[in-house]
Amino acid sequence: MNKIMYLEFERCIGCRSCQAACRECGDHDAKERNYVEYVDFMESRQTFPMLCMQCKDPACARVCPANAIQITEEGVVLSAMEEKCIGCRNCTFGCPFGIPKFDFEENKMYKCDMCYDRSKHDIAPMCASVCPSDAIRFIDFDEMQALRRKRTQMNLVEGKKPQEGNKWQYVPEFFGVYSD
Amino acid sequence: MSQYLVKEGVKNLVKPGEKLVTTHCCYCGMQCGMHIRVNEKSGKVVGVEPRYDWPVTKGKMCPKGVTAYQTVDHKERILKPLIKKNGKFVESSWEEALDVIESNYKRLQKEYGKDSLSVFGGVSMTNEKCYLVGKYARVALGTKYIDYNGRFCMSSAAGGALKTLGIDRGSTLPWTELEHSDCFFIAGSNTAECHPTSIQWFWKAKDKGAKLIVADPRETPTARVADVHLDLKPGTDSALANGILHLLIREGYVDNQYVSERCNNFEELKESVKHWTPQLTSEITGVDKDKIIKAAHIYGMSEKSVVMFARGAEQQSKGVDNVSLYTSMALLRGQIGKFASGVATFTGQGNGQGGREHGQKSDLLPGYRKITDPEAVKYISSVWGIDPKDMPGPGVSAYEMFDEIQNGNIRAMHVMCSNPAVSAPNVEYIWEGFKKLDFMVVSDFFLSETAEFADVVLPATSWAEDEGTTTNLEGRVIRIRKVCEPLGESKTDWEIMCAIAKRMGKEPHFSYKNAREIFEEFRIATKGGKADYYGITWERIDKEDGVFWPCPSEDHPGTPTMFKEKFGTPDGKANLPAVAWKEPGEIPSSKYPHILTTGRVVFHYLSGSQTRRVDFLMEQCPVPYTEMHPELASQYNLSNGDKVKLITPRSEMILDVKLTKAIRKDTVFVPYHWGKELSVNKLTNPSLDPTSRMPEFKVCAVKIEKV
Repeated sequence: MNKIMYLEFERCIGCRSCQAACRECGDHDAKERNYVEYVDFMESRQTFPMLCMQCKDPACARVCPANAIQITEEGVVLSAMEEKCIGCRNCTFGCPFGIPKFDFEENKMYKCDMCYDRSKHDIAPMCASVCPSDAIRFIDFDEMQALRRKRTQMNLVEGKKPQEGNKWQYVPEFFGVYSD
Repeated sequence: MSQYLVKEGVKNLVKPGEKLVTTHCCYCGMQCGMHIRVNEKSGKVVGVEPRYDWPVTKGKMCPKGVTAYQTVDHKERILKPLIKKNGKFVESSWEEALDVIESNYKRLQKEYGKDSLSVFGGVSMTNEKCYLVGKYARVALGTKYIDYNGRFCMSSAAGGALKTLGIDRGSTLPWTELEHSDCFFIAGSNTAECHPTSIQWFWKAKDKGAKLIVADPRETPTARVADVHLDLKPGTDSALANGILHLLIREGYVDNQYVSERCNNFEELKESVKHWTPQLTSEITGVDKDKIIKAAHIYGMSEKSVVMFARGAEQQSKGVDNVSLYTSMALLRGQIGKFASGVATFTGQGNGQGGREHGQKSDLLPGYRKITDPEAVKYISSVWGIDPKDMPGPGVSAYEMFDEIQNGNIRAMHVMCSNPAVSAPNVEYIWEGFKKLDFMVVSDFFLSETAEFADVVLPATSWAEDEGTTTNLEGRVIRIRKVCEPLGESKTDWEIMCAIAKRMGKEPHFSYKNAREIFEEFRIATKGGKADYYGITWERIDKEDGVFWPCPSEDHPGTPTMFKEKFGTPDGKANLPAVAWKEPGEIPSSKYPHILTTGRVVFHYLSGSQTRRVDFLMEQCPVPYTEMHPELASQYNLSNGDKVKLITPRSEMILDVKLTKAIRKDTVFVPYHWGKELSVNKLTNPSLDPTSRMPEFKVCAVKIEKV
């Protein structure tokens, strides 16, 4: 895989087609593994997509006692392996972003796997494919770098500066998040 | 194990045992390209795949589009004809249902004349079906009473375009050019929620420095990212547009050469906007004066600008005026007929463009011909094989048909592909009308709120079970492909119309074997009309990624950009109508002190008949609510989640409160996708635009009471 996921929160229109599309991915059993949140509905309609950060050193995998969460050679953190998952839910507690969810009927964890059967062949994950506003994109690393630079320039032209909280320091390079 | 389908370097996932059928979404006018996944063995629809090679949407889909396929095999589909017996629906055979229809229609025609029957159409159907609805009403039933749900959706845009430009093609430019524009002026459209896949084009342009101006009473997800948000009071669009026109003229932004060569009536317009100073505009619209000036400067200085509008500006008792004035902005700047510039309306329904051109309107014949024009009647009569004397005259508009029911003139109605029991204004009046009918037929694939009133419900097919063409919001004619076989005993709308026509003794005029035969006749019927489809063939559509009308001959390339040299008026010049300010039909008073406006949410489509049956969409937005500003709420001591009663002169309803600062302080908003006691259209005002006969959904006076 030569591409990365790039998020631009300002573009998110809150339509949740990423969630609807996530359910359509072949092995996702019609359960979405990404989420869309309001920043503060009382103030504005600003929403943002919440995807798995595919962490370099993923807490979910580190705390898994059964070693059920595999990391592919491209760095994608997969959903728990069915045969290994013991249903302890450590991963759901361990993730700082609240991504892994637990299926109580099946007694197993499920999380975003970046539509691995697609993305390993450079086909965009379902969420990035359908996102109507390009808030979620599946692009080359170089393209992401150029976009980040351009966005900063535009913000300077328009007199805006990205609001950054400390949490971006924890986002791995693998994940191109809107900030610079 | 996965396989890949490759077209022009674009990969798509194809699972073993499945095939992909290339088609378009069934919902809004964007008509997003998509692949439907079909199990090869069972022939069943199993899912959806993005279609990256469709130039307009490039694989993008909104949540409605992603889940559209789920309505095809839905457990609530009507699979057999239903006849109401002792107040309950009982399944019947097609023969029995057609017997009932035939005997009732013939009885009513004998007792009350042919105009006692009526047809209420819809524009979520293909062009072929829309065309046939007009022919069915006028030839098979012989009635003048035909109109359609586009009267609640598109008719003001059509009226405005005809008045100014002479031809009603919703968009004068293709969407693929939008990325090269440098300014968008969007009025009364929450594009992000109603046409989400358009947003990518605005962002593409914005990334290059384009500016976005949005006029909307709410800070919608579209307005949120605007450079200027003109938060106008609902119903004051013509004041805002007059104010901008005043500034364009005053500040010297008029393209004088363009206006003198290509437009009429400039001096009158100049005179009429003379007094529309930013101060006056601000007083009437409630928008800050500086923002109006800033918007006019940005729009005036841009070289390639697009003015866009939608139902917010159109669904008013002066919608045609609003559209004319917004269009005049583009004309003054000389923007129509140029690359990446122009004027466009967002079509709400899937085939809102094509469906309004081919004879479903009470006053129109196919190809946008006037039914009052003897030459047009003569031509269409020859295509249909009838005597021009037998062509019924103009009828009345959709809402006015219900007046005719109350007057006893209309005794029976056939509703197709439409759900006016939810989507019409003042719906309690509509419900009374349905109850008063002697006989009512509904063709639909779900038992909609309208179908519940019917005497006979005929199971129609969903969009995936038939083929044909639709015309998207750009004016691009595209192909809908058959994805799977009709479920149960359902039949396509055209088969239903042909079956009833046969019973009415009109079989020779309705002897089609497939949709393609209808398309061939339809091409001839549109030939020479304003909306000329004659040169469009299914093969060309496939080969050229859709063909833009007008396309008068097979060697004509189609018309992506309209009005390059001249306009559609008799003298080829555009009109710049001078429009005097009028208040909305109902303004706040001491009894009803606030403004109610309605609209869509991204998760539902129109009356919600389809989307309310999709689990994912219902999970996101299960019931309507009322959005209001915290300051307004504090006057009534309301908190988030409280119940509130909204009362208008027509009716009242109870809703949950959703507080947000992203709305004007004098306005409350309610989405309209629900029926019965959840229908906000119980409250809306049926005040009609004098030209387009479009009701005023977007403004009425309302009283708030805490429950």
